Amino acid sequence: MALFSFARKPTPSSSEGSPKPFAFFRAGLSPQGMTANKPILVFENVFKFFKRDQPTLKDINFTVERGEFVFVTGPSGAGKSTLIQLVHRRQTVDEGRILFCGRDISRLTADSIPYLRRNLGIVFQDFKVVNHWTVFENVAIALEILEMPVRLVRSRVAEALERVGLKGKGEQITGTLSGGEQQRVAVARAIVTEPALLLADEPTGNLDPALALDILTLFEEIHATGTTVLFATHDHTLLEQRPHRIVYIDDGNLKEARRGLSDWKRNPVEPTQSHAIAARSRTEDSTALTPIERGFAPTFG
Amino acid sequence: MELRSTLRRAARGMREEAGLHAVAISSLTIAFMCLGLALLLLANLDSLATSWERAGRVTVFLRDGARPDDVAQLVLALEGVSGVSQVDHVTSAEAREQFVRDTQIGSALEGLPTDAFPASIEVSLAGGAEGVSSQQITDRVSRFAIVEDVETYRSWFSQLEMLVSAGRFVAFGLAVLVLLCVIFVVGNTIRLAVAGRREEIEVMKLCGASDSFVRGPFVVEGMVQGFVGATLAVLMLLVAFVLLRTHIDRSVASLAGVRTVFLPPVAALAVILTGVVVGAMGSVVSLRRYLAV
Repeated sequence: MALFSFARKPTPSSSEGSPKPFAFFRAGLSPQGMTANKPILVFENVFKFFKRDQPTLKDINFTVERGEFVFVTGPSGAGKSTLIQLVHRRQTVDEGRILFCGRDISRLTADSIPYLRRNLGIVFQDFKVVNHWTVFENVAIALEILEMPVRLVRSRVAEALERVGLKGKGEQITGTLSGGEQQRVAVARAIVTEPALLLADEPTGNLDPALALDILTLFEEIHATGTTVLFATHDHTLLEQRPHRIVYIDDGNLKEARRGLSDWKRNPVEPTQSHAIAARSRTEDSTALTPIERGFAPTFG
Repeated sequence: MELRSTLRRAARGMREEAGLHAVAISSLTIAFMCLGLALLLLANLDSLATSWERAGRVTVFLRDGARPDDVAQLVLALEGVSGVSQVDHVTSAEAREQFVRDTQIGSALEGLPTDAFPASIEVSLAGGAEGVSSQQITDRVSRFAIVEDVETYRSWFSQLEMLVSAGRFVAFGLAVLVLLCVIFVVGNTIRLAVAGRREEIEVMKLCGASDSFVRGPFVVEGMVQGFVGATLAVLMLLVAFVLLRTHIDRSVASLAGVRTVFLPPVAALAVILTGVVVGAMGSVVSLRRYLAV
């Protein structure tokens, strides 16, 4: 855990007055028993307005448990990216709250946002890599921000590049790589800090179907090591091939299915029930929820 | 690690935007040369004022045809005044000779008659102009019939003081103007650099970089620009000063009776430090709007 001692050092003033920095956990682990029992992400009655009286997200309620792989899907403009941006605090919630590891991130001050982001990995549709930097530099920047020693940065970057299949390409200029490889660089940068939650905002949007499947497989491999993944996509071919939980957003409303598209027509959970799940999760250990509450039982045709 | 990372990223930024930084440094050098020049003029005016004030003297002009006995009596009377350190009798011929020597006009003045320059008695005051009341000397010598006029240089001093005050005012105004120019130049350079590196800034902010982490290299770049610009300006002024000093001393300065001086080391250092501080400020100001990601 010493690896992540980068979180802002608690000082008397910070512990009394300003909000405390996020405690950090490695993927799937937690230094604190209480935090480990809490869902990693909870949306409670979340509203987001870009236009007055026309919410992009309406009363969104859902919970992501530690170690889950969740697809967020829906048509273009439905609010998938907004939802990811709310977690990453590029946007601010207008109503409701979002709990990340039990802490309300919707009320974070501007100074605390970097500390939240250091606990998150994020991958975008347009890669967001610096083209004139080397692959190594693009990945290492996430660790440099954490003020990690150079020797450790080298070994961690090499490890991350190996995980995403870019071993030996550290010295290449990122702009000279193919789109799929550039996205792998972005994935390596997102996982190199071993974040508690990996966010993906249409990461396959700019890739052909074969590469898209490659990237999805990569995310699944990362998930298999215990990382929680929130994967936003509108690509149904990906949803069809993987039986992960689906959170569907349309016109700002939410439905979900626990076991992929095959489960979708039989078992979508409507927002009202999802709301009840979220409310329950606030007060109880989520493992205590009944199967119906957890969304396994069909409710609507 | 953070400092090393900041310096490394700053060095990379300067390497990648070398042309832009070169242009900025040139502009800053010119701006700081204006400031340095104003300070240099001020330093010399100050030096002139101090030198004249320190070397307090009174000139007693004698009527034509003054008899040597009367002159000797006047010299004796002046030597008896407390605070007078030296009394010299300068004849018309000596006055002309000295003028020709000081101004180096040469043969052009050879045709002038000797009596074009009045004979005088030069009185040096031990404690400078402030030590003895020049009015006291004036009162004492004006009773002598051979005295035509007494020059105490008080009006010169007051005019010079006014000139120095005006020079200070101009230098201050120029300094403010130059500082604004420097902030503007550094700000715009950093803004251009930021525009070219917006992608990097966005990536860093998305990875959880604090504002200070992002700002660090740009502040270093601004400081380097300010430092190099100001140092070059001081060095160029020094070179120009060394090259022109002899010429200036021979013409203008010899008339004033002092030698030209360069900026005192403290002032030169202050100019360079100002460059560093203002460079950093320019970066901070211009970056503010780009940090909201």
